Amino acid sequence: MQCAKTLCQECATQWDGIWYCAACLASRRNTPAAKSRVGGWIAVVAASLVILFLSTRFMVWSGVLLAGLR
Amino acid sequence: MIRAPLSTTSVLDESAAVVRATVSPWAALLLATSIPYRFMQIVFADRLIEIGSNASQYGDLLRTTADITCATFLLALIGRAIYARACRLASESGAAPGREALRVPLTAFASYVFVASIAEAATYLLFVTGLGIAFGAILSGLAIGTMEQNTEPGIRGPLRRLARFGGNSRIVASLALVFFCAFVVALLNVAALGSAIFALASTVGGWDAARWHALLSFSNRRYVLTIIAGALFVIEPFWIAANVLLVRKAGAAQTGDDLRVWFEELQRS
Repeated sequence: MQCAKTLCQECATQWDGIWYCAACLASRRNTPAAKSRVGGWIAVVAASLVILFLSTRFMVWSGVLLAGLR
Repeated sequence: MIRAPLSTTSVLDESAAVVRATVSPWAALLLATSIPYRFMQIVFADRLIEIGSNASQYGDLLRTTADITCATFLLALIGRAIYARACRLASESGAAPGREALRVPLTAFASYVFVASIAEAATYLLFVTGLGIAFGAILSGLAIGTMEQNTEPGIRGPLRRLARFGGNSRIVASLALVFFCAFVVALLNVAALGSAIFALASTVGGWDAARWHALLSFSNRRYVLTIIAGALFVIEPFWIAANVLLVRKAGAAQTGDDLRVWFEELQRS
C-alpha cells in the first residue's frame, strides 16, 4: 500500500503490481501530468553518482588496508 | 500467486519454482551481465594480492581498476533489474515471462541504482570488519526486491521502502544465513566440477596435463578467485528471486492478499 494505510482486500486495488487505496489511485490519476519530477530525478541521479564515486574510493581504501595487514 | 504465508521456507520453496520458470533466457541474461563485474572484482583482488603490502604505492592502478569495476557494476544492475522483473512476473502468472520482463520502468531502475550503490559502498566501507559482505548482501537483496515499488523518482522513497521491508528482520536474517550456507555448498560443487572436468580432460590424448595442472590447481589464486565467482553466479538467481518473493509476500501479508488466496484454496479443496 503506497500510503501505508491498513485496508481490507475489497477497498484496495492492485495496479502494476502495487496496491493502492481509492484516494491514492485518484491522486495518481489527477496529478502526474502537472507534478514536476525534475527535482526527484536530479536528486536520485546526483546521489547515485556521488555514492558510486565513493564506493570506488572505499574499494581501494579497504583493499589497501587489508593488503597492509598481510 | 502468493501460495503460502510469509516464512523463510515458503520464500525459498517458491523462489526455486520462480528460478525454474525464468532460467531461460532471463537467468542467462543475468549471468551474461554479471560476468564483466565478477571478472573485474577478480582482477582487483588479484592485483591487490600481487602487490601485497606495497598496495599504497599503486593508488592509480587500483583506482583505475575500481573505476572499471564500478562501470561493470552498472551493467550488472541492468541484468539484475530485468531478472527481478522476470521473477515478479513469473510469480504472478506461474509461467515463464516473455519480453515484458525487459520493460523495467526507468524510475524503478534509477531508484534501484541509488540503493544498490549504497549497498555497494557499505560493503566496501565495512569490508575490513568482516560484516561488510553480509550487510551489503542483505541491503542489495532488499534493494532488488523493492525495486518495482518505486514509482516516483527521489531518494527518500526507496530508503523508506528498504526500512519498511527490512523490518521483517527475522526472515531477512534467516534468508541471509541460508544463502551463506548455499554459497559454501555451491563453492564446493563448483570446485568439484572444475576438478572433475580437469580429470576427464586429462584422459584425452594431446592434453598438456602438466601445464593445465599448474593453472587449475588451488595453489593458483586466480583459479580460487574464479571458483568463488562461479559459486556467486550459481546462487545469484536464487538470491534475487528470494528477495523479490519476500517483498511480494510481505506486501501481501500487509494487505490481506495472502488470506484471500488461502480462503480461495480452502474453498476449492
